[in-house]
Amino acid sequence: MLFAFHRSIRHPQYLSLAIYQSFGRAWIFLIAAIIFLYSSGCSGSFQRDLEPHISSSNLLPSASKSLESTIYKAPYPGDYKLLTVKDKHGQVEQLWQARGELGQFGGALTVSSFGTGPKTFNCWSASDAESSGLASLMYEGLIDIDPWTAKFYPRLAKSFTISPDKCDYTFTLRQGLKWSDGEPITADDVVFTFGTLIAKGFGNASARDVLTVYGEFPSVKKIDDLTVKFHTKVPFAPFLSSLGMAIAPKHILEPLTKRPMTEFNGFWDINCDPKTLVVSGPFKLDRYIPGQRVELVANPQYSMVDKLDRRLPYLEKFVVLIVPDQSTQLLKFWGHEIDLLDVHSVRGCDAAQVKQKEHIDDFKVYNLGPDDGTMFLMFNLCRRKNPKNEKYYVNLVQQSWFNNDYFRQAVSHAIDRQCMIDNVLKGVGYELFTAEPSASIYCNKKLASYPQDLNLAAKLLSLGGFKKINDKLFDSGNHLVEFTLYTNAGNTTRDAICVMLQNDLQKLGMKVNYQPIDFNILIDKTGNSLDWEAVVMGLTGSRLEPYNGANVWKSDGRLHMFDQRLPAANGAISVNDARPWEREIDQCFDRGATTLDTPLRHKYFDRYQEIAYEKQPFIYLYANLDLSAVSNRIGNYMPTPLAIGYGARGTLHNIEEIYFKRKAK
Amino acid sequence: MPLPIFIVKRILQAVPLLFIISLISFTMLKLAPIDPLAYLKANPAISQATIAQEEERLGLNKPPIVQYLIWSNNLLHGDLGISTTGGSVFKLLIQRAGNTLLLGVITVLFTWLIAIPTGIYAAINRSKWLDKLFSIAAAIGMSMPTFLLALILLMFAVHTRLLPIGGLTSPDFFNRNLVGQIIDVSAHLVIPVTVLTFVGLAEIQRQMRGSLLEVLRAEYVRTARAKGLSENTVIYKHALRNAINPLITLLGFEFASLLSGAALTETVLAYPGLGRLTLEGVLTKDMNLVMASLMLGSAMLIAGNLFADVLLKFVDPRISLE
Repeated sequence: MLFAFHRSIRHPQYLSLAIYQSFGRAWIFLIAAIIFLYSSGCSGSFQRDLEPHISSSNLLPSASKSLESTIYKAPYPGDYKLLTVKDKHGQVEQLWQARGELGQFGGALTVSSFGTGPKTFNCWSASDAESSGLASLMYEGLIDIDPWTAKFYPRLAKSFTISPDKCDYTFTLRQGLKWSDGEPITADDVVFTFGTLIAKGFGNASARDVLTVYGEFPSVKKIDDLTVKFHTKVPFAPFLSSLGMAIAPKHILEPLTKRPMTEFNGFWDINCDPKTLVVSGPFKLDRYIPGQRVELVANPQYSMVDKLDRRLPYLEKFVVLIVPDQSTQLLKFWGHEIDLLDVHSVRGCDAAQVKQKEHIDDFKVYNLGPDDGTMFLMFNLCRRKNPKNEKYYVNLVQQSWFNNDYFRQAVSHAIDRQCMIDNVLKGVGYELFTAEPSASIYCNKKLASYPQDLNLAAKLLSLGGFKKINDKLFDSGNHLVEFTLYTNAGNTTRDAICVMLQNDLQKLGMKVNYQPIDFNILIDKTGNSLDWEAVVMGLTGSRLEPYNGANVWKSDGRLHMFDQRLPAANGAISVNDARPWEREIDQCFDRGATTLDTPLRHKYFDRYQEIAYEKQPFIYLYANLDLSAVSNRIGNYMPTPLAIGYGARGTLHNIEEIYFKRKAK
Repeated sequence: MPLPIFIVKRILQAVPLLFIISLISFTMLKLAPIDPLAYLKANPAISQATIAQEEERLGLNKPPIVQYLIWSNNLLHGDLGISTTGGSVFKLLIQRAGNTLLLGVITVLFTWLIAIPTGIYAAINRSKWLDKLFSIAAAIGMSMPTFLLALILLMFAVHTRLLPIGGLTSPDFFNRNLVGQIIDVSAHLVIPVTVLTFVGLAEIQRQMRGSLLEVLRAEYVRTARAKGLSENTVIYKHALRNAINPLITLLGFEFASLLSGAALTETVLAYPGLGRLTLEGVLTKDMNLVMASLMLGSAMLIAGNLFADVLLKFVDPRISLE
């Protein structure tokens, strides 16, 4: 909390905010205060380390600039090597050889995740980050993305080729692959996974929709026991990344696909017997203790070896503690009950404490750059009537403001993003202006910033027909500009952001009524009742594939929140009032998806970001900084910004090589 | 009225009561403008088909009245439905009930074993320094929020490394022998039991002190003393028996709270109990889970009241069950 005050001195208008923030959730404040009091005795300050100029001068510099220089870069360890060996029965096995240093076997790595724990252990019906994270420890796909080069490399596959017309994908599996129950992994499993499980929509049907190209599911054919061929009607770039989906054990799941579809979701659910799980990844579920933890053990059949040809993973166990919130995670880390605090667990407000303790405790903080999640302000641009009562979703007056490009641009220029980052995120964040987050390899870096410029904002407003009388803003019809701003309650960060937005927009003469509401209510408003005016929200993004944002950006998207068209009874969304720039964005996504030519894809996705930048349907605010804190006893920890998963997997992309360093005797 | 008939009558009365409670709870939950699938809907990677599937699975696509009828019909058949977090509600509740019961019983035991003697002591030695000390402790216990005490103790655990930080078992729990497992669970229980005992202590200790003081002022106590009975006989045989009645009613309430858990304490201490489960359920409008948990709470409250009434009858023969 003292950090909050510390910075507020330079922004006196936010002192009250700092107090409000600190006392709003008294218990968070208490943890912070007590930890701070405890650790203030220690020498070495976070600010001296990360932000040398803050403590020396009273000018608020850009903290992110100094953070940028400390981004951790793990050196590229080289490519995986394919090893062909014969097992004791004389059968040929093809194994990947890990790239990291030699480690020691044994030990249990304990990590934690906050929330209610996994919802299922069935990898193909998982729809939440927690379950998917666990699934990614237990299952592997044909290919994966290299965390350093962002290129696809074969995983269960030995190699793959793409035909010159970019419509045929041929995969060759490695020889001698086995499921954890000893059954071989063959082309039949691949064909079953894509051709039956996903094509028919078993489990989480999103997988089917992701792979569907223009309404048609690609065909998959077995060539021989180890070779499969996929065929798409047109070239479709996101297709390849979707082929990283986990391959399913046909010999276990096939009987289920002949039964009613609803039974599939109940299979391998959280009440299942862990011993029945059959996996292909480095770990296998051992025990689930609800509300406490998930325990996984090494899969002895895992098809990867280290540089001495010893079978990985090094770790004997992988334990995920389920804790209610990030504060408890932090306490458990201090108490050495967990070995690692992963990204998304180190919040901006904790960063200072964590960094400070690095000197006295045996761990290291890794700065992995901006997060792919985005935080934004949006206005309800809907111009339609509610068919039920023939009333406009948004009244005509407000409609005319929100749909006025100058209005949104002026709002964007009125926001002091750096001040938000300094006060709310304690300097641990990045200003954000582009639709693709700065973490994305497709981020359009050419787009300049939208700096706070109140004069420019005022000019834009007068261009838009607004006038300011006695510090109050009126539109051309003499209506006072006033609207309600929602965000989800209980999130102190967003709370503070909204109070600051209220402040910034007041300078333009706008009256903003801020109202925090429950997250589930908020989603009901933006996605169903459309009864909202302005909202501050966050969405997760993608670092590698901009087309993953199609749900948000395409005018018929399910999350096209700034102007949500509601689905008909059959779930289809039809659009007949798309703005010209919405149509152009639709085209950018369609074209960007149907070519595999990277420069061309960049061109289309740059263009969509330019439109978003000019039209400001989402007024982007900031991106968090990804920090992880890891015990020094852990070897081979090589996080990269491109390999940050959700859930328990987090930054542990090379989990099979992670090991505990034992002290030399 | 004979006791068995009284009990049967009370149980029969409980049925319409539970029905009304379920109706009110269901209506209120339905009226709350909370989208139970918000987390799915806010995730760009989830398609419309998945959401539709999930609505179908949870029965959310039907009108509320139909949902209520389905729910109550299932309940009568002993089926509590499925949770939005996956898995059957019954199994979820069973998994947590044991933990909550363990914490509840130990807490009640500690609370009463400490509160009754100190309450008696404080009443007899009124205005002595120890009574005043108890008063201060009780005032702190009554006014201090549980989460605050829980946090302070957590900080203690973090700094001294003497106690585990939240939870109920350590990751190596299943590799320990029985004694080791008992020690592990006990160590994890120290903080939650301390918190809940300290907070619960105040009420019962004050109640005991107050009602004993009142009785000690009564005529028959003066008579007993005048008769020349020893002070111990006066207090423990005559006064205490009459002073215990209000505490029996409190015991009934304590029984009711055994299974509802202490949501706040459980959340702060990451304790895998029913309270935390229910709280998480309410926030995400997990209908089946919250309804089951509310019904369980109501049933326990009714049972607790009945239990207290019956106990009162045994303790004080003057009370009639009309």
